[in-house]
Amino acid sequence: MSTAEKQPQTTMHLGAARGGWFDQLKVTLARRTEGRGLALLSVVIVAAAILEPVVFTSYQVTLGRVALIGLVALGLTAVILMGELDLSVASTLAVSGVVMASIPDLWLGILAALATGLIIGAINAFFVVVVGINSFIATLGMLFALRGLAFVLSDEKPVRLTDIDAGIAFGAPLLGPITPRVLLFVLAFVALQIFLTRVKAGREFYAVGGNRQAAVDAGIPVRRRILTGFLISGFVASLAGIINTLERTAADPTAGSTVLLASFAAAIIGGVVLNGGRGSVLGTLIGAFSLGILQIALTLSGVQVDIQDIFIGVILLLAVITDPTNLRAALAGVRSSLRSRERAQTPV
Amino acid sequence: MSRESETLTETIAVASRPEAGIEKKRFSLLLWMADRGVIVFTVLLILAAVIFIDGFATLPNLTDVFYRAAPIGIVAVGMTFVVISANYLDLSVVAQVATSAVIFIGISNEFGVFAAVAVASLVAMLYGIVNGLAVGFFKANAVIVTLSTTFIGLGILRWLSGGSIFFGPEDGPIRAFGQARFGPIPLSALVLLLVTIILWFVLTRTTFGFAVRAYGSNKSATRLAGVNTTAVVVGAFVITALSAMVAGFVLAAFSNTAVSSMSDGYEFRALAAIIIGGTSVFGGKGSVLRTLLGVIFVSVLTNILVLSGIGFGFQQMAIGALIVLAVSVDALARRAAKK
Amino acid sequence: MRNTRITFSAIGLVAAAGLVLSGCAAADSSDGGTDGAGAGDETFEVYALLPQGTDQPYGTTYLPPMQAAADELGINLTITNSQYDADQQASECEVAVAAQPDLIILWPAVGDTVRPCLAAANAAGIPVTVTNSDVNPEDQDLTEAYSGPDTYGQGVSSAEIMCDLVGGEEVGILVVNGLTGNSTAINRNAGFVDTIEANCPNVTILAEQPGNWNKDDSQIAVSEMLTAVGPENVQGIYAADDTMVAGAIDALKARGIDPASLYITSIGNTFLGNPLVVSGELDGTVFQSSSWDGENAVRVAYDVLTGNTPSPRELFMPSVKVTADNADDPSVAPEW
Repeated sequence: MSTAEKQPQTTMHLGAARGGWFDQLKVTLARRTEGRGLALLSVVIVAAAILEPVVFTSYQVTLGRVALIGLVALGLTAVILMGELDLSVASTLAVSGVVMASIPDLWLGILAALATGLIIGAINAFFVVVVGINSFIATLGMLFALRGLAFVLSDEKPVRLTDIDAGIAFGAPLLGPITPRVLLFVLAFVALQIFLTRVKAGREFYAVGGNRQAAVDAGIPVRRRILTGFLISGFVASLAGIINTLERTAADPTAGSTVLLASFAAAIIGGVVLNGGRGSVLGTLIGAFSLGILQIALTLSGVQVDIQDIFIGVILLLAVITDPTNLRAALAGVRSSLRSRERAQTPV
Repeated sequence: MSRESETLTETIAVASRPEAGIEKKRFSLLLWMADRGVIVFTVLLILAAVIFIDGFATLPNLTDVFYRAAPIGIVAVGMTFVVISANYLDLSVVAQVATSAVIFIGISNEFGVFAAVAVASLVAMLYGIVNGLAVGFFKANAVIVTLSTTFIGLGILRWLSGGSIFFGPEDGPIRAFGQARFGPIPLSALVLLLVTIILWFVLTRTTFGFAVRAYGSNKSATRLAGVNTTAVVVGAFVITALSAMVAGFVLAAFSNTAVSSMSDGYEFRALAAIIIGGTSVFGGKGSVLRTLLGVIFVSVLTNILVLSGIGFGFQQMAIGALIVLAVSVDALARRAAKK
Repeated sequence: MRNTRITFSAIGLVAAAGLVLSGCAAADSSDGGTDGAGAGDETFEVYALLPQGTDQPYGTTYLPPMQAAADELGINLTITNSQYDADQQASECEVAVAAQPDLIILWPAVGDTVRPCLAAANAAGIPVTVTNSDVNPEDQDLTEAYSGPDTYGQGVSSAEIMCDLVGGEEVGILVVNGLTGNSTAINRNAGFVDTIEANCPNVTILAEQPGNWNKDDSQIAVSEMLTAVGPENVQGIYAADDTMVAGAIDALKARGIDPASLYITSIGNTFLGNPLVVSGELDGTVFQSSSWDGENAVRVAYDVLTGNTPSPRELFMPSVKVTADNADDPSVAPEW
């Protein structure tokens, strides 16, 4: 149990007497959305430390898995915060990988892949902002179209990098456990964290997601913010595609089959609210760590994949139904129905 | 759904569609066209296919289009309820269809068809209730809830079935069901038609159907009117689950085999058909007949692409482009009509 | 309100923790059975990185003989299943290398992507053997041995059956492939197409579609291809596995065409395909034994572990052609 959850209970008794910083702490804690993610992470860490300590002794592997799950999830968070969805991330990852591997020159390939990600983000934003269709549908269409494009461009076969040695060199650790993948993941996290908490445009993402009309009234350029969000998501997905292609020395048009669902799961576990307005990239990071450590621990214990899936499903289900706001709504429902039953009984 | 609230529900159904009157005033040809876009497009597509594609207008090919449409159509028609109740989609239909198919063949082989149908119904009810309670009672997001039940469901199915491929005897009742045809029309297409008619009736002619539509267009108004909203959501998910179960039967009977991977991709393909049909993902607006048209459109299109020898990649691109196009036309026409 | 919320969260977390603990405990106990059962004095730690397991029919019958051979030889297996996701398998490979086992058995999820995994294992001094689908030729010197079917060779064998049946006749055929992008599907198709071009150019491929390893997808695809090219122009069908060829045969029957009048070949000789060969509807298939595959993955690994690295590097599963002549033979009894 995390302290974040316990503290408010004590303040109920002491808060009135002490006031001041305790109330402030209470407010801060109530505003945070990472509680469940943190709690799950603690449980996972403790369980893994007892049962599979290898998870931590071979921490570079664990970090690699977290970066694999987490990178796409970070970009996705920017979009979800505004109450939009991007289902096309996994297909974007596959297409940009194929684009990169098809171009013989490594750097030119990387630039082309990043451009692909940005263009896809812009197309998504065009449909959402200009045409005015729901992002869920627009990106669902892109999910199909881009996967098809990846197959067409690659002739339905994996495309090998021209410079395989560069790929292998890329996968090697730079310093201690830090591989370029982990480094880029950390950079992406820091950049997004700063953008969403310290930059005006980034902070406005929350306003756009919290109350779109109010954001418009407050003079926030909502359309431009949504464009930025999709550009971020497309860019980060193509970055993940580039990293995967380099590390595997080939681009697979079927790549990313597990990425979409895993990155959604990471964001949700980390407390990012799908309707927008609430959540943080820190939460997504926590979610990615929880899932990553859990998966590595299960793999190391030799748990077969179907049992792993059942596990992750149950945890996800628990995470989403124990969302405090949801629970409050559910309990209010029960209470009101009980009350109405009481009322119904008394007159008779 | 309690019977006594019938008049209430009707009140909300009317009250929660205040735009009904206004829309009439802004009526325009453009809007009318957009509203019926799927009919126009389907007719045009079929006409073009008859003229330009050799072999399209033959009886065996008609049968193939029906075979393509039946299982995905049954899933889509059922899932329309979840979409109309403003809960996006039910991702777990992938697990539901495969589970139902494996139970249908696996348990029939051991204990007979009736036992298999009974077990499959129980499992389908369980799916519907778990999804429905998590979404309706705990107010959790449907995408994530059904994502987790997909993980759990497929995990359990693979664990218990060992991923084996099940196949029924050549002379069994399932084989007969799968091969039954009336002229060019396979029995499975009639099942699709029957399910569509039943669900059309439920959605448009019953209190529950009214409640689903009312809930989809205005959740809080429906709740305030005293409707048991949890029951509405559970009902929508149960209907989806029962349809997915029937789709599993049809799919298993068609090939007389069942394996846990046989319904991969059904969730998004069903949603694509629903959206192309013109049901709004915002909820409240839509119909099962539209979904049926959407399914026919997608099946005919896929059939044409295969007949023309076009590869898998281009097929996917066409479906994707179509989803975006269908919704864009609708959105643009709506905007033009409002001006 | 807040109390109930905390209680709920606590219950959820305790349940999650309980699941984590019980799951790991269950896994531990199932691993424990192999300890000390070895024939030799040593117990070897081996990681097997597979792309399928109990989630697919082949994997389901591949695993038990593999485990049995491991128990017999005193090998402690840790098996992973990446579900044909290259990124997942790469991560599992990192896990395996970090765990410093005595050997890694690799069944590549996507052949083109395993080079870094092999390089990492080599750098850590861990020998790698390959099972089921071989790595690319330029990567083979990073591995000790290969055992399994020759997926390209299976396509070749199926094409040879087709060429023998057809003789010099000018015929048109339909081709049903496996799941798009899957490496086994790609290799089998390449083996088949190359051999047809080389040995019997009188056979023309009229149309090709994926059947996704599924009977129902294959049945519809074949029926539609028949419509597209005209049934009268089709004298043969090749499908990349028995499940899909069963669908192709059903498609013919649904049109009132006698499958026996066409040249039909596939790969597998499974429970679904073997009876079709016996009944004469399927002219020939290529036996793939999942038990041979699983068992020899471990036997070859054992040879490498005990210093008897096999030479030549490849131990190919015999690509036995199964036709009406030998379909009843016990040596080709179907396994999956």
